[in-house]
Parts: sequence; C-alpha cells; structure tokens
Amino acid sequence: MIKVKVDMDKCQHYGQCVFEAPNIFKLNAEDKLEYLATTDDSEKSNVIAAADVCPMQAITFTEK
Amino acid sequence: MNKVVIVGASMGGLRTAESLRRSGFSGEITIVGAEKHYPYNRPPLSKDLLAEDKTFDSIEFNINKEELGANFMLGNPAQSVDISNHELTLNSNQKLSYDFLVAATGLRSRKMDFQNPVQSGRFSLRTYDDAKRIRSAVSPGKHVVILGAGFIGLELAATLRKLNCKVDVVAMEAVPLAPIVGELFGKEIQRRHEAEGIHFHMNNSIENLIGDKFITHVSLGDGTSLECDIFIEAVGSLPNTEWLDGNGLDKANGVLTDKTLRAIDLEGKCIENFFVVGDIARFPYVNLQIPARRIEHWNIPIEGGKRVGREISHAVKPGSVDGFNHEEPFNPLPSFWSDQFNISIFSYGEPKIADKVNLVYGRIDSDFIFTYHRQGKLVGAAGIGMRQGLNKLRSEIWL
Repeated sequence: MIKVKVDMDKCQHYGQCVFEAPNIFKLNAEDKLEYLATTDDSEKSNVIAAADVCPMQAITFTEK
Repeated sequence: MNKVVIVGASMGGLRTAESLRRSGFSGEITIVGAEKHYPYNRPPLSKDLLAEDKTFDSIEFNINKEELGANFMLGNPAQSVDISNHELTLNSNQKLSYDFLVAATGLRSRKMDFQNPVQSGRFSLRTYDDAKRIRSAVSPGKHVVILGAGFIGLELAATLRKLNCKVDVVAMEAVPLAPIVGELFGKEIQRRHEAEGIHFHMNNSIENLIGDKFITHVSLGDGTSLECDIFIEAVGSLPNTEWLDGNGLDKANGVLTDKTLRAIDLEGKCIENFFVVGDIARFPYVNLQIPARRIEHWNIPIEGGKRVGREISHAVKPGSVDGFNHEEPFNPLPSFWSDQFNISIFSYGEPKIADKVNLVYGRIDSDFIFTYHRQGKLVGAAGIGMRQGLNKLRSEIWL
C-alpha cells in the first residue's frame, strides 16, 4: 500500500502528475488538483514518476 | 562489476542514477559535481527561495541515499576525459575509470564583457550560492537593473519588485519573450509587469557599468543612464563542456547525440558507452527536418536521466529492463512553466519554432491559450491559467 501526499501550499495545479499517474491524480472542473491519498503497490512507479515531474516538487509518498 | 561515472550532480545526474537503480543496475555509480551541494532544484532560486530567503533544505532533492548507493564526489569538477581509454580526470587530479560515462554538467550563466571590471554589485543567477548573494544585497528601495528579459530576467524582476526594489529591465529585443511565445503574449506580460511598477528599456543594451569600488549606475546604449545598486545579468547560458575537449566530439553547442542520447563524434560515429543528459544534450528531432538542438527546460534532464539509466541497464543485460524499447527514439515532449507575480505561464512543445501563432482560448487581458503551428502542424501550446484546456492540446503536438 502507498500513501500519497501533495503539499497543497506548493501545488500550482499544473497537472503534470496527471499524465504520469492518471489513476491517482486529476484536475477537477475548477482546474484544481484532486488525488487519491491511498493506492496500491502496482502504482509505485507511476507515483515516483509523478513526484519526479511535479514542477513544484509537491508530491511525496510512503510505503506501508 | 560495471562502473558508471556520472559527471554532474544536479537533477540530470541524480535522475540518471535513480533510473539506473530502478532499472536493475547493481554496479558502481559515482556522481561527480562541481558545486559542493548535493543535487538541488533550481527553479525556486528566482522565485520563492529568493523571495522568502529560504535555505538549502527547501530545494534539496529528497534522495534515499541508501537505496541509491552512489558515491558522491562534490565540489570536485571534471577537468578532462579520455574517451578512448575510459578515464576521467578531476580537478583534484584524481582519475576515475569507467565502463559507462554520463555527461550531465549543465550550464553556467553567460557574462557580458564590460570595460569597467567592477564586480561589487554585479550578479548572475544559476546556483544556490548566486541566489543567496543576491538576497544579501537586496533591501527595500534598492535600485535593481536586470539585463535580459527572458524567463529568468522576468522572474527576478517580479521577485525583486515584490521585495520593494526599484526594478529596471534592459533587453535587446523589442518585446519580452516574443522570440519564444510571440509578440502578443510578450506584450501582455510586459504590460502586467509595468502595472507592478517595473520599467522596461527594450531595443536597448548596457554600454558600461559605472562605479569604482561598487556599481552606482549603468549606461545604456541609447545614451541614458540608470541608477543601479544591484546589476543582474540574465543573458542566457553556456554549456559546461570544456572538460570534453580533445575527444573529437561534436560539441559546438552542447554535445550532439543520437536518438538514444549517446554522444556522436565529428565523424558521425556513435560512442556506445558515452551518454549525455539534460541542458548540454543536443539531441535530434524525431519527426521534424530541423537540426538537433539543446532544450533548456526542466523536464528534459528528468526524461533524459530516465532514458539513459535504462539504456545502460539494457546495455549491461539486454532484455532485462521491463517495458523498455531500445529502438524507440528519445522524444520527450518539452514543457516549461514560469511564475511571475500572479502570472502562471505553462507551455508544451516548442512554440519558438512556429510560423503561425494564434490566440485560441480566453482573453489576452485575463487567462488565455495560444497555439503554435509550423507548416500546418501543432508544435506548441502555451498560456496563462486554463490548465485543462492546455493539457488537452498536449497530445496533439507533433515534434
């Protein structure tokens, strides 16, 4: 299990994470980021890729 | 045991090392860096690190050093390399032999040549140390003159204006950013900066710095002069590739690579065990008939590092990297962003190679999106706000 955390103070809603991990991140109707706080291990490499491409480096995750 | 030596300890070098481990490389990784810092993120240097006087921990990349298992040699620039016998020499005179070499040495600020050699009051911005120097000199009411109206120049202008400095921007072009995103877009950016009290001197240049022990004024090409306490050169960058001299590489502007990011020599021969990542990689277009180019955008070292890590793991053990297609050319979609005041610019593709620019969504005085076409094909999309609209255009870009 992976817990995803986005620092919403840093997030600028560029949505680059959405391209890397579309099952976890999305931009809503107001162009703001929404995300799943918990996901399973199969998404790990996508979460890493999303964290890497975030211009604000706002994404962190922990593994349980 | 295979040895990878990565020259360059910034984001490109780090992402390469991470990709190596994630793709199964179990050999030795050494990362050599000129700066004394562990890899850190540069974009905040012109923005909130400068604005809020933040410290290094706010920009340092989160590295799991144990998992990475790399030997970092920091504050020790590469001096030269002999590609034929696989040996790198550092400034310290230490020699490192390698099986695979990755060049990710990035850029340094270009500096103008002024007759007056005065240094006190003169700044440029590339590193954390540069940013701290600028911040130490800044206080409300100081006169800042920025030479250059590109993204760094404009971000610095906005940040320093918010710190209550008087800010003048001097640049050669007629309209800021016009060569990159077009005239209409650029004019609007200038207008929004002017609304915040920034003064522009476009179609202009700086003739000389004035001041004996420290800068007091700058003289402009049009004969006028500006008071100046802090002079910042934001006139682009030069690739750090001098250490590669003497190897017959094509390094007129960064290092030419093939479609797998392997370096190519002047005879057109690909050097199998030598890769180039990030700002110094001059890599080919895949679909367009235009010469190879360097792309100085933040996502390029990330994509390049990812690719090269996999290439090396594949080279060491073909077929071992899950889902990696070695035949597929390296063709990342470039993207960049810029934050200036509350202006949030985002771009996909390469707007600057367009022959046709159109405002397609929104309004120029609010949020908007421009499309950029070249010979009828969409090569870029850029705008302010309107994120979802912009993200939808991304998949249509053809480069």
